Amino acid sequence: MSERASERARGAEALTWGDPAARTFAGQDSPRVDGPLKVTGRARYTHDVRLPGMLYGAILPCPYPKARPALDLAPARALAGVVAAIELDESRDGGWTTYLGQPIAAVAAKTPELAADAIRAIGVEYELGDWCADRAQALAEGAEPVSSSGNAFVEDAQGDRAAVEAALAACDAVVEATYTMPVQVHACMETHGAVVDYRGGDEAIVYASTQGTNSVPGPAARALGLAAGKVTAIVEHMGGGFGSKLRFGVAGLAACRLAREAGAPVHLMLDRSDEFLCTGNRSGSHQVLKGGATADGKLQALLSTVQNLGGIGRGSHPGHPFIYEPAVSFHQPGYVLTHTDAAVPMRAPGHPQASFAIESMMDELANALRLDPLEFRKQNVSSEVYRRQLDRAAREIGWAEHPNRRGPPAPSVRPEKAVGIGFGLARWGGGGRPGARVTVRIASDGSVTASAGSQDLGTGTRTYLAGIVAEELGLPLAAVEARLGDSRYGPAGASGGSTTTPSLAPAVKDAARRARDAFFAHLAPILGTRAERLRARDGAILAAEDGAKRLGWREACATLAAGEIAVTGEFQAELADSGTHGAQAAKVEVDTLTGEVRVLKMVAVQDCGLAVNTLAARSQIQGGMIGALSYGLLEERVIDPWLGLAMNASFVDYKVAGIKDVAELVAILDDDPRERVIGIGEPPAIPGHAAIANAIFNACGARVRDLPLTPDKVLTALAALG
Amino acid sequence: MKQFRMSYPTSVEQTLRVLAATPPAGDVRVIAGGQDLLGEMKDHLAEPDHLVNLARVEALRGLRWAASGELEIGAMTTLAAIAGDAGVRASLPLLAEAVESVATPQIRQQGTIGGNLCQRPRCWYYRHEKAPCFKKGGSECFAFTGMSKYNAILGGGPSYIVHPSDVAPALVASDATLTLRGPGDGAAAVRTLPVQEFFTLPFEADVTKENVLRPGEIVTAIGVPDRRGWRGTYLEVRERQSFDFALAAVALALRMEGERIAAARLVLGGVAPVPWRCAAAEALLAGRRVDDETCRLAGEEALRGAAPLDHNAYKVPMTKGLITKALRQLARLE
Repeated sequence: MSERASERARGAEALTWGDPAARTFAGQDSPRVDGPLKVTGRARYTHDVRLPGMLYGAILPCPYPKARPALDLAPARALAGVVAAIELDESRDGGWTTYLGQPIAAVAAKTPELAADAIRAIGVEYELGDWCADRAQALAEGAEPVSSSGNAFVEDAQGDRAAVEAALAACDAVVEATYTMPVQVHACMETHGAVVDYRGGDEAIVYASTQGTNSVPGPAARALGLAAGKVTAIVEHMGGGFGSKLRFGVAGLAACRLAREAGAPVHLMLDRSDEFLCTGNRSGSHQVLKGGATADGKLQALLSTVQNLGGIGRGSHPGHPFIYEPAVSFHQPGYVLTHTDAAVPMRAPGHPQASFAIESMMDELANALRLDPLEFRKQNVSSEVYRRQLDRAAREIGWAEHPNRRGPPAPSVRPEKAVGIGFGLARWGGGGRPGARVTVRIASDGSVTASAGSQDLGTGTRTYLAGIVAEELGLPLAAVEARLGDSRYGPAGASGGSTTTPSLAPAVKDAARRARDAFFAHLAPILGTRAERLRARDGAILAAEDGAKRLGWREACATLAAGEIAVTGEFQAELADSGTHGAQAAKVEVDTLTGEVRVLKMVAVQDCGLAVNTLAARSQIQGGMIGALSYGLLEERVIDPWLGLAMNASFVDYKVAGIKDVAELVAILDDDPRERVIGIGEPPAIPGHAAIANAIFNACGARVRDLPLTPDKVLTALAALG
Repeated sequence: MKQFRMSYPTSVEQTLRVLAATPPAGDVRVIAGGQDLLGEMKDHLAEPDHLVNLARVEALRGLRWAASGELEIGAMTTLAAIAGDAGVRASLPLLAEAVESVATPQIRQQGTIGGNLCQRPRCWYYRHEKAPCFKKGGSECFAFTGMSKYNAILGGGPSYIVHPSDVAPALVASDATLTLRGPGDGAAAVRTLPVQEFFTLPFEADVTKENVLRPGEIVTAIGVPDRRGWRGTYLEVRERQSFDFALAAVALALRMEGERIAAARLVLGGVAPVPWRCAAAEALLAGRRVDDETCRLAGEEALRGAAPLDHNAYKVPMTKGLITKALRQLARLE
């Protein structure tokens, strides 16, 4: 038992999120406190940092999947205003690059334009190697090995293959199909990078666009040659990460090396095209599924072979069976390497890929048995939560009134504009963990600050840091100043896996309660009562038994003559939980003459325990739906495997959904009885594209098994129907 | 970006003099709204020494309606100004729809109609500095054996680009003309030609160009004849609704006599290196009612000779689908 827990056991009231009726923040809608800063442009992102004497950095990515570049840096160094030019060759074996986009050189110059010119001025001869730019090349006979152990890897299988084969033989319907997904990139609004404030000496400040403030000082100190603990990381605001900014990364490390070389601060934020090539991605996927069901609607058997396509990385996949529960299953995981950059986490790593395959398969089986796909899903999940959420999503999307509940119309009676509905489910663990420290200060002038070395990656962390403290102290939200994104504020985990809020919010609550208790202990003798009789409400401290024993907040704080109250809080397991479900439905209109798909409406029903800010939670759900819509309809990184060139490393050619592509979005927080905080970043991003694919089939009978669901593929699938 | 000099002439004559005076060794380019050229410069596809900026040539701006109903559009008129013009919206819906299909509101605010017609191809091989294709003076069309999803199914070879303009097919279907001004005085310096004749197929002329514009020559105006009695529409399929280039597009204009088509103009976009006029389909449509059979026959005729590459056969049914939709839509109008 920790010291704090034992202290609580000695008689302090148990820490809970409090009576819902008495809460003023948690579980309610609250606009984010930094919203005005962001929409007026006053929020300072890493990109916006300007320091005296600062240089601008840029990198040169190798444009080929495998090459041995011979560099001549002299022409770059000869340009007036260029201060440093360095070769980046640490991870080149025999001089060979291992992935398309691998940075091979970096420069620092007095303006960003000069830095770009210096990159162009570098003399470079590429000796081209044999490469594997895609799965087909990697699996071809005699393919160049990407790793010393080859290109195709098979991991430990799970299940009894013979039992699955036997069960399949007894099924009334068996579907075997291959589902494929291309590589998607994170496409963060703010590119990766850092501003390294180092001018020689033994200390540095690093401003970074990162999901992990505290992940920066270690690697930055090593790259700068400084002692650990001599580097401070600052992340005031950051423009999107989605999993791609968990590590300090190639841009940050290059900025450190340049700053060390130049002895001056360096601002190195990647160019948009570089961003597409060397900052990681969501792995592509190749999944062969064979599923069988009986006429009574029971999923009996599932056979799955998965290959993750994560470049030089292994990619991600949670494994099958995913969510649905066949009587028997056999799963063969694996991955295929190519000479492209390594996949990194991206919003629910591997889960959207698994979802597309299994949700499509479930739909295909339901159709083969002429079963209602909604009922077929409900029949093959064990959790009552899923059934409740599916019913709610079905009601919101209008399933009961929909004519195609037993499948799409026959080609002969198919309308020109065909409307369909599809479903998908989500699953995520997440949950909180210890490690973060939160400090709350109450000063004698009445000001309150809450600080944490965490970061707000756009999800509303800053808002609940202030809000939870304000609620505990009986103050309005605006009375508390939230400070985060500074490694000096103490330890906190990186934001990944939907863990930030369940890890941090309990520590905020703990710190707020401790601050309140310390303040009450100080005020009790002044008010002539006992601390446990005091309440903080509506900007005042008052005694429960006697309203006359009362001090306004400023009056009360003014009694802190000896200085401020400063306490720290830590993670409290009883305030957090893990494990979420989630159901989504999509309604689409397919133009059967042209293959165009419009998503008319998407519905998400999502549990997440106690939402600390319901407005921000619904915003997260909407973002997940938009991301899935974009993944489903548009996004695909394209590399010409023969030329070895990236074809669409720009926002013109790599297509991300814009406002005209987005559907009506209905985000519903499910009635979750758990009065504990669970993260919500990942689950709403998991099933939307799968629901869209199923809706396309439901509308017109076009089954597209390859993302993105573009008009050419819809037309081809329609043509196959006759 | 390479350093360049920029001139701001204030008249057409001055513009032509500046262009003529630039030594042949120097790469001079005319810049209008810059929405394509600036991207080409940032991507190092164009590295001019000298830009001649038409922004201050007032004579090139604006819409002028003649009493006879003809419209003259200055080449420097922004797409937003054209789409926002009440007369264009009322009497030239085909043109209005095509202009509104271009890119984004921001780009239409800055981009001009002359620039739209002169924009370079969007083929991703052309746009990649390291792919030395025909269009960049190389000796190969990488799309021919490569990733050809967005390339031509008609009129291709040796290059298989598609012309990216939405406005061009609408102008061809409106029987519009272009006026070009070159160096010198008198009639020889001015050329007026049907918009269709402005564009060149890769095998007809210089493969590195898309049109007949000569060095030192500029587009000054677009003339649209009186289209009273015609109805028209511009339809396209794009992957991304927010902004994208067309996978396939149809500009259709019909003159109806009762239930029957008296005359038709059918021009395809996004499928060929030029706006693709379908003369045989137009002839077929004349005298017919719009019914399923007419739609089918017009589609067959328009796509006759289509030769898809490895990844763009879908454009054939897609374009036929668009033709059917356009015919049905125009037949429904009063």
